[in-house]
Amino acid sequence: MVYLVASATRNDLQSVRESSPEIWRQVRRYNLPVQLALAAADEAIRASHDPSSVALISLAPCQPGSADLYRWGNVVTAGMSTGTLGNLRMNPTQTLHAVDNLALSAFAISHGNRSYCLGLGGAAGQAWSGLEAVQERLDSGLEEEALLMAGDQDAAEEGAPGLGVALLFSIRAKPYSPSGRMVRLISIKRTRERASDVVPHAANGLAGLLSAIVEHRGGEMSYVVPPQHTDGLSGVTVSLEVL
Amino acid sequence: MSNKRRVVITGMGALSALGATRHELWNGLLANRSGVRRVPRLVNSGITVTTGGEVEAVSAENVDRDREIANRTIEDALAESNRDAAECGFIWSTGLDTFQLGPNGFVHRSAGQCFSNLSSRFTGPRRMIAAACASGTQAVGEAFRLIQNGHADACVAGGSSVMLTPFYLIGFAGLQAVAVDNGDDPAMACRPFDKRRKGFALADGAGAMVLETLDGARKRGAKVFAEVIGFGMSQDAFDLNRPCDDGAGAELCMRRAFLDADLASEQIDAVNAHATATYSGDLAEAIALRKVFVERWHTVPVSGAKGAIGHAMAAAGVLEAIVAAQTCATGIVPPTVNLNQVGEGCELDHVIGEPRDVNAATVLSVSFGMGGQNAAIILKRVSHKEAQEAQMQR
Repeated sequence: MVYLVASATRNDLQSVRESSPEIWRQVRRYNLPVQLALAAADEAIRASHDPSSVALISLAPCQPGSADLYRWGNVVTAGMSTGTLGNLRMNPTQTLHAVDNLALSAFAISHGNRSYCLGLGGAAGQAWSGLEAVQERLDSGLEEEALLMAGDQDAAEEGAPGLGVALLFSIRAKPYSPSGRMVRLISIKRTRERASDVVPHAANGLAGLLSAIVEHRGGEMSYVVPPQHTDGLSGVTVSLEVL
Repeated sequence: MSNKRRVVITGMGALSALGATRHELWNGLLANRSGVRRVPRLVNSGITVTTGGEVEAVSAENVDRDREIANRTIEDALAESNRDAAECGFIWSTGLDTFQLGPNGFVHRSAGQCFSNLSSRFTGPRRMIAAACASGTQAVGEAFRLIQNGHADACVAGGSSVMLTPFYLIGFAGLQAVAVDNGDDPAMACRPFDKRRKGFALADGAGAMVLETLDGARKRGAKVFAEVIGFGMSQDAFDLNRPCDDGAGAELCMRRAFLDADLASEQIDAVNAHATATYSGDLAEAIALRKVFVERWHTVPVSGAKGAIGHAMAAAGVLEAIVAAQTCATGIVPPTVNLNQVGEGCELDHVIGEPRDVNAATVLSVSFGMGGQNAAIILKRVSHKEAQEAQMQR
């Protein structure tokens, strides 16, 4: 059995800065998707039995990094044609952002976590692969808890809105903190339905699932993932039971 | 009795600085040859790093290079296995975003877009792995696990990277990870475990494997290269840009792979090392390997491929797994190209100068990612009898 026991969403760094200065100190040098993912993960992990042994599954942003990274890409590429690259020094954090595992690494370091990890890249619909991985790991008894985290922006532009989301799952039944009710993950089913209106975003799909769970009155629930949150190649239905 | 299914490799494709096929990769390594060289377009840019492992089979001006090099190896692996993409899952790492100057201006494409394009003809599961330099090994490990547990019958696993662009050369130089030019022979830029090591040479490349159940391979009469018997992951939880000084994270993933394979370290015949040629990386890896093999550390042959092909990031692990599978099949451990004088603290049973035929049947292949993700897989030779059974059913 796999239970959703806690979650957090973050779309506002100002509140993180004011209410959690310690978290802010840890994340301030990163770009917005990483900051929001880490802020959400730090909130959700508080419900964990042992943060150092949780399986970590992290989704990279679908938007290519950040406005900063984009600017750097242009500066470097322009320098290529003018032969002036010898003078350029890149901020090492930009390279770490480009590698796409930054949130995962930073979270593991801050929580001393050496457990199983899975970084999923910034392709559309990978959130549901992450959810499948959570179920596989916990069902197979390899870990007792798993954290699924993601952060992304609507566009790689300065000021574009962002969202971070984190979901903590456990094999131990306990009430899901926002609703006070038990939420059991039953299955993630795929169907062959292509969609053309996909909007790649690592966090929006999971946030949609969380909203549906909170709104559900109780009993079994089938959450049909909206086509824009899929990978465009298959339909996804998440079955849960709210007790 | 375990109901886990046995998983084997039935097709492989490799594109590297040593050539456009897995045969060229293997033969180049056996010949102790480096494919790393000076890249003219980088010399003209004024950049401080001008050497790399370039894939010549696809033009550097091709802005779809990331997709192109991936597809070539995927096609080769599927053809060798005689499998169709539509019957396979796809576990792949497309490495990093593309920042490149194309004929119509800047090209800025996310790695995710490349993955989405590549994955469209596979039926699933479709997972894009992002674990930095450990990605390729983790992709093979995750495909193994999905098949072993019945979540897929066959998968294409691997990775591809286009790294020889100024963006990444400057970026990794800033992290003090790549060997900057110092007048040396470009072919010797990357010297794993060597006293004079100074970082890796970035490289383009791709590698693909078809994994499926042993039963499925038997039914189809497919050629079996090796069996995957164990997989372990860990995190350093130490630093974003530096491995643990005591190699603890690396050691942990190896021990998890042994446990998964139900194997003792005594049963490992050879190691395909990560061997990046960075000062701290090689040191931590050597420490971890000595801890894992205890008193056997000076008798287990260790070999690394990056001296010959450079560091192809997301593709590195799978290219090295392909080498490990060839070692399982032939028993031969290739030399670590450019390793001449072993650096202090890096002492292991290094294969130097020429290949060593030790009848290696069980090989550990490891990758350690920047940021601290570590992956280990164990490959094992499939017995002649089992391989013949598969062929005879064709």
